[in-house]
Amino acid sequence: MFLAVFSPKGSGEVSPDATLMQQLLRRDVGAFEELYERHSRIVYSLVLRILRQGSTAEEVVQDVFLQLWRNSAQYDLSRPFVPWLLTLARNRALDQLRLKSERQRRREEQTEQFPQIASAAPEYEQALDEKRRAERVRLLIGSLPIAQKKAIELAYFEGLSHSEIAASLKEPLGTVKSWIRSGLLRLKESLRATS
Amino acid sequence: MDSQWLAAFKGKFTGNIVNSNDQFRELIEAYAIGSLDAPERAQLEAHLASGCDDCEKALQEARWLVSQLAYLAPNAEPSDMLKGRLLQTVRAEAAGSAARRQVVGGAGIPSWLWAGVAALLLFSLYSAWIAHKMHDEVAYLQQQAKIEQAERERLEAELGAAKTQAHEAMIWSDPKSKKIMLRPKDPKMPDLEAMWHPDMGLVVRGWKVPSPGEKRMLQLWLIPKAGGKPMPSMTLWPDANGKFSAMVENPPDTMSDTQALAITEEPIGGSPQPTSAPMWVGGVS
Repeated sequence: MFLAVFSPKGSGEVSPDATLMQQLLRRDVGAFEELYERHSRIVYSLVLRILRQGSTAEEVVQDVFLQLWRNSAQYDLSRPFVPWLLTLARNRALDQLRLKSERQRRREEQTEQFPQIASAAPEYEQALDEKRRAERVRLLIGSLPIAQKKAIELAYFEGLSHSEIAASLKEPLGTVKSWIRSGLLRLKESLRATS
Repeated sequence: MDSQWLAAFKGKFTGNIVNSNDQFRELIEAYAIGSLDAPERAQLEAHLASGCDDCEKALQEARWLVSQLAYLAPNAEPSDMLKGRLLQTVRAEAAGSAARRQVVGGAGIPSWLWAGVAALLLFSLYSAWIAHKMHDEVAYLQQQAKIEQAERERLEAELGAAKTQAHEAMIWSDPKSKKIMLRPKDPKMPDLEAMWHPDMGLVVRGWKVPSPGEKRMLQLWLIPKAGGKPMPSMTLWPDANGKFSAMVENPPDTMSDTQALAITEEPIGGSPQPTSAPMWVGGVS
């Protein structure tokens, strides 16, 4: 049912980020600087949360924005920019976290290219600006039981699998699966409710 | 790790294979966040690859939703040094790209090189034009020089002729000159006359003299008193009217030592000694 409200943005509508990315294709340093000003804080916050070390986090953020600069042609301008950028940053940070592990080697091939990301944002994305949407996300996840919140954070910030989370929290695997899915569905409903 | 997921696979999914859309839909959010264990992930990816539009759309939204979890991270600010490093790198790469575009693009040739080529082309055209112009000027000057040379030769010839005429006139008018009549052996031929000045030379004139035979001309000889061989002197050639006037400024012998003058017909260019009988003879002293 909720899929009914999930559709691409109105055709012909170009976001400021997409415009800046177009300018980036022409090697516009000014556009790059503006993209950095607009998104470096959330990217850095996310990477720092994953890596918990400032200097390493800055190295990853630098890699992310340089990849943005050097491989801007790979970005599909019709796709939502911020989720794509955050997914790219998360993958890079998790790769760093898993450095030298077998999983890292498995992931390397995936991260050579830009990550897969939603081809379009849900309609309710427009109902809230970024700041209010961030508040809503924190409020909703913060309202979850601690263990459920922890399971989601381990999945998202640590990159752990269901089995790994279950082992870490010493909870049944099915419970962990349920916590993660239900938490994300509640978040979705919460965001939809604002539209 | 392998034994763990194998155990989980056997324990949770053996006999409970995911095989319906609803069951796959329950895996979408976990797949988007990356927490699916390997067996479930493989099953879902196979299902997505089969082209299930509903699951694909659900996955698109789930990916967007998962990306929003980034806002759970505590706010933090990167250092100014990071921005400085990034902009420094980006500006350097942008400058490099611009330089490469200048070399490769549009033809790939930088503007200064085009300017150089244009300047070289203009210089070449200018040089060719100058060379052509100089060639024309040289040809013109050469032609002018030829004209002037011909004019100078003509003037010199006229001057020489005038001098000769003046010289001859002086010889003819000077009282010291001696007139010598040369009588023809053939009575049908006209008389010739000569005037010899001891210092200024000898002049011979004739009128209505027939032209010599083909490749022949007349030649003057001085016959010495001592009875030696005739001494060759100038050659003569009557004009179309049979007229001629020739002068020798320095005859081969003096008048006092010369017995007579004689004229013979000789081959073109003259002879060192007579090859035919005298046609005219005149006594000198």
